[in-house]
Amino acid sequence: MPSNRTRREFLATGAGLAAASMLPTLVFAQAGATFRIGSLCPISGGGSSYGSGMQKAIEIAIADVNAAGGAGGRKLELFSEDSQTKPDAAVLAAKKLIEVNKVQAVIGTWASGVTLAVMPLTDAANLIEMNCSGAPAISTEDKKDLVWRFQATNDRFGAAFAVIAEKRGYKRPATMAFNNASGIGNTEGFKKAWEKKGGQIVASVVYEPSRPSYRSELQQILAAKPDVIVTGSYLPDTTIILREWYQSGQDVKWIIPGWAANPDLVKALGNEVCEGIISVDSVSNENAPSYKSLDAQYLKATGKSLSSNVYAAMTYDMVICIALAMEAAGANATVAQVNAKIRDVANPPGDKVSSFAEGKKLIAEKKKVNFEGASSRLDFDQYGDVTPDFGVYVIEKGQLVRRDVVSI
Amino acid sequence: MTAYLVAVGIVALIYMLLTLGLNLQYGYTGLINFGHVAFFAIGAYASALLTLSGWPMAPAFAVGTLLAGLAAWPIGLLSLRLSDDYLAVVTLGFSEAVRITIQEERWLTKGVQGLPGIPRMFQSLGIGEYAEIATLALLVVVNAAAVALVVHLVRSPYGRLIQAIRDDEVAVEALGKHPARLKVQVFMVGAALAGLAGGFYAHFITYLSPDQFLPLVTFYVWIAMIIGGPGRTAGAVAGATILMVFLEGSRFTRELVPGVSEVQLASVRIAMIGLALILMTLYRPQGIFGERKE
Repeated sequence: MPSNRTRREFLATGAGLAAASMLPTLVFAQAGATFRIGSLCPISGGGSSYGSGMQKAIEIAIADVNAAGGAGGRKLELFSEDSQTKPDAAVLAAKKLIEVNKVQAVIGTWASGVTLAVMPLTDAANLIEMNCSGAPAISTEDKKDLVWRFQATNDRFGAAFAVIAEKRGYKRPATMAFNNASGIGNTEGFKKAWEKKGGQIVASVVYEPSRPSYRSELQQILAAKPDVIVTGSYLPDTTIILREWYQSGQDVKWIIPGWAANPDLVKALGNEVCEGIISVDSVSNENAPSYKSLDAQYLKATGKSLSSNVYAAMTYDMVICIALAMEAAGANATVAQVNAKIRDVANPPGDKVSSFAEGKKLIAEKKKVNFEGASSRLDFDQYGDVTPDFGVYVIEKGQLVRRDVVSI
Repeated sequence: MTAYLVAVGIVALIYMLLTLGLNLQYGYTGLINFGHVAFFAIGAYASALLTLSGWPMAPAFAVGTLLAGLAAWPIGLLSLRLSDDYLAVVTLGFSEAVRITIQEERWLTKGVQGLPGIPRMFQSLGIGEYAEIATLALLVVVNAAAVALVVHLVRSPYGRLIQAIRDDEVAVEALGKHPARLKVQVFMVGAALAGLAGGFYAHFITYLSPDQFLPLVTFYVWIAMIIGGPGRTAGAVAGATILMVFLEGSRFTRELVPGVSEVQLASVRIAMIGLALILMTLYRPQGIFGERKE
């Protein structure tokens, strides 16, 4: 009976697959005393242009820590999953990391939606969660102080935009936001901070992703005759908007987040169009030794400069922060004890250190350290959020020249 | 490991509910619904918003299911005038319209910011990790009930009638039956099942945003149905299970096959599902449980 045979075959295959999926657990159950880190980077999906770089940076950091003899007497072990930049896929991946691999920290979540979906799981298991997400809700949903954010919140970016606009004497700002949590977060943050200063926004528009043209949205903004346009945007849409603006010939200045207004933008549009654009980014520690050493290793591993992926520097810092906290918490510390030390090793006061090996040495001498990361100074506030300084870069003859640093 | 398998089981059962609904519409009645995710989204958002505003979970689920069913009513009416590929396009458009409405009506859904902190099922009982096992058990019961419903429906005279509509609508009319009302009803029942699945989804993931309801979800459900065999209830059950085995099982292949990085595996995973689907259509176009011709 043909149909019977197929059913039997199918059952056999199913049983085989089920057995195969059980196999790794047996192997892992025997692993020794390592500290297990789970990475959940956006390898595929919306964050895929950053995910593999973030993953690489984590691998580099783990190798660094293990080369220095491990932290708190333990080596780090990495387990990786792909969040697919989708909350539901990330939930299952996080479950697998937590339940099967028994990780003690989940790091590298990128999209706010993914972080918000994974947080309840790590919280319930009392694990450390580290992310590069911008949504303000993450701070308030973090009830146990186990969630650490290495990216400035969109709110803070917006507030920095407002400080910059005021400093430069603009009076009639308009906003353009990409329709997602991050894009709108930027312009809403700007609006809040700007209106607090007694200012008014002359026009604002939220635009949809992946359009070939943004002419009508741009017309709507330009018709209000703003003197500066503040955006919450990404590279592809910013490229289209600026090209269309340039064709319109209207004189206006731009304040654009650093992940959109970068050397790639200049390459795409040419020096003339980009002249005078203000690019704002959290100040990466480009001059810090941690940044330079990571940049060299990252270039070797991926063939790209670290400046092409701000999140890679953040994921690198995540691992180093955990490792330093482990070192400070002492041998065989629990996750809670390690978590309690994260602020200690990252925030001032203390001797500034820029690598794990350096910090390990000072901690052994019973000194308090202050890790200066590759991504920022890494000083966490009461919510576990970083408050970096913001660099104000003006594009001049195709070069991003830092003109100012603002704090909020 | 248990909790992970429970989680995988929950997602598989949610997909199973979706597949059962679609199978009723397409497999038995021949209605091509490319907008299944819309009813999933309506059920999820309705249930989430109601519980967040203080409703108990049971009535919130009921309202979500009902709303999804009702939303299918106008689409069902359209299905009377549109056949096959035209209906496919309209339903696909409908699902995108629903998603964009959710995205834009920020006063209600918080738009792209999403809804965090949706209560988990059985959490208020204070039974810790057993809450998820309870969810799984409830899903098994609900799926069993849905299977029983579908089996009962298709074995009854009603079921013979809807299958006749699929095979030859003109002949059914010639016999003096009215396919119109039946088609609308089938559409609504299938959508209500999707709405119910949405409720479970919302309270399991605990965070909703519009980009979780892309047409991709619809096509996952289609894949599950095609693998299992359209027009077979056992096929819907098997298809959803196999889809999850592929999606989740591929996580473990990396540990068995050394030298594959996470980056490569992400692509391999999608390729595996595609390959399975191609082999399926080549060698067993009627699906695992399908019969070549009824």
